[in-house]
Amino acid sequence: MLSDKTGSWTPVALSADLPAGTVMPARTPAGRIALWRSQSGRAAASADRCPHRGMRLSHGFVRGEALSCIYHGWSYARTGNCLRIPAHPGLAPPETIRVETHEVEECGGVIWVAVGVPTAQPPGLEGVAPLRSLTAHAAVAAIETAAGAKAGAGGLVWQAQDAQQIRLLLAPQGDEQTLIHVLLDDNSSLSQRIAASRAVERLRRTAEDLQTKGIAP
Amino acid sequence: MKLYDYVLSPSCYKVRLMAALTRVKLEIRAVDFHPGAEHRGPELMALNPAGSIPILEDGDLILSESAAMLTYLAANAGPEWLGSGAPEETARIQQWLSFAHRLTASLGGARLHEMLLRPGDIGALQAQGIAALRELEAGLVEQGLRGMRFIASDQPTIADIACFPYVALAPDGGIPLAPYPAIRLWSRAIRGLDNFIEMPGIPRLHELKPEPHVEPGEV
Repeated sequence: MLSDKTGSWTPVALSADLPAGTVMPARTPAGRIALWRSQSGRAAASADRCPHRGMRLSHGFVRGEALSCIYHGWSYARTGNCLRIPAHPGLAPPETIRVETHEVEECGGVIWVAVGVPTAQPPGLEGVAPLRSLTAHAAVAAIETAAGAKAGAGGLVWQAQDAQQIRLLLAPQGDEQTLIHVLLDDNSSLSQRIAASRAVERLRRTAEDLQTKGIAP
Repeated sequence: MKLYDYVLSPSCYKVRLMAALTRVKLEIRAVDFHPGAEHRGPELMALNPAGSIPILEDGDLILSESAAMLTYLAANAGPEWLGSGAPEETARIQQWLSFAHRLTASLGGARLHEMLLRPGDIGALQAQGIAALRELEAGLVEQGLRGMRFIASDQPTIADIACFPYVALAPDGGIPLAPYPAIRLWSRAIRGLDNFIEMPGIPRLHELKPEPHVEPGEV
């Protein structure tokens, strides 16, 4: 989604779901990433594979400004260079030991990861605030059918029954699964937020039914 | 207090974890659950005719339901784990304590099938497990909107301990946890509690340990 000639931005997670000092797995159209946030609060994305033995870095841990592999503790900076190899404490790791990284932008409480080299910024999301993310076992087309609306550059605007307008950012995860980021008017009350969270559960059920029955376009 | 225990059982771990968190010392009696099926033998069947573990024995009190064991440990040594007594919170605790049985049946069933080759319909067990995880995720999202970090309250209760182990071990049954951001944060909050203990497959938060420093030449 949101592609231009040279690259695109994928919404991978909500800022609130990645506190400082944590790492989580995520997916972009280019593959699996380890998405992490340093102690000082900077988000970063690397390929989800340690160049040493291939362990997923999303199983690792964050100390200070580095992401460490759970297997042998090799640690990496947000720019991808290896900072430390615990079994060789005297060694300054050579520049050639690197993990592939992706550009990260955070705006409006959403974390976007670049695939390729986008020329534009991720879309602005004025007036809405993120509520939650959830995964549906349904393709984007089934979710669009269930919502009765198409996704555009700023996501899909869904007029839920008995609830206010809900904005959805849809990120395909492969295997006919879709990560859905739910955004609401930033003045919503607690009861409106809870109602919207429940409404999106219903939308997911409808979309998954459509997917299973094969009646999505 | 004597716990008839199997180290790989998530239900036994609930009781060990609750005891650790409330600083109660348990006498552990290891049971040869697999492959010996000792829990079905005469000695343990005499204590618990249901033929399940854990069993908690304290004087002439014999408990065979893990939720009752969590309640007993908390009532003895950590009443704050039973909640504040507010009606809504009390109801939520009971709701998630009962819900925990569904985690045992679905996620636990899938795990037994994958790890100990128990017969069963793995597809159905995994689908029920995903449905249960989604229910817990939705509950935690709503708690988060209310400004609460745990499933029944802003403080951890026995309901969190009842749900945590089978959820944390869901990947053993082939059910990934990546799709559940609220469960990830909740699991971190539990693993970061003072006096938290591990079980095989549920590690402590590695980053809470000090970084080891080895001088060149020591390796």
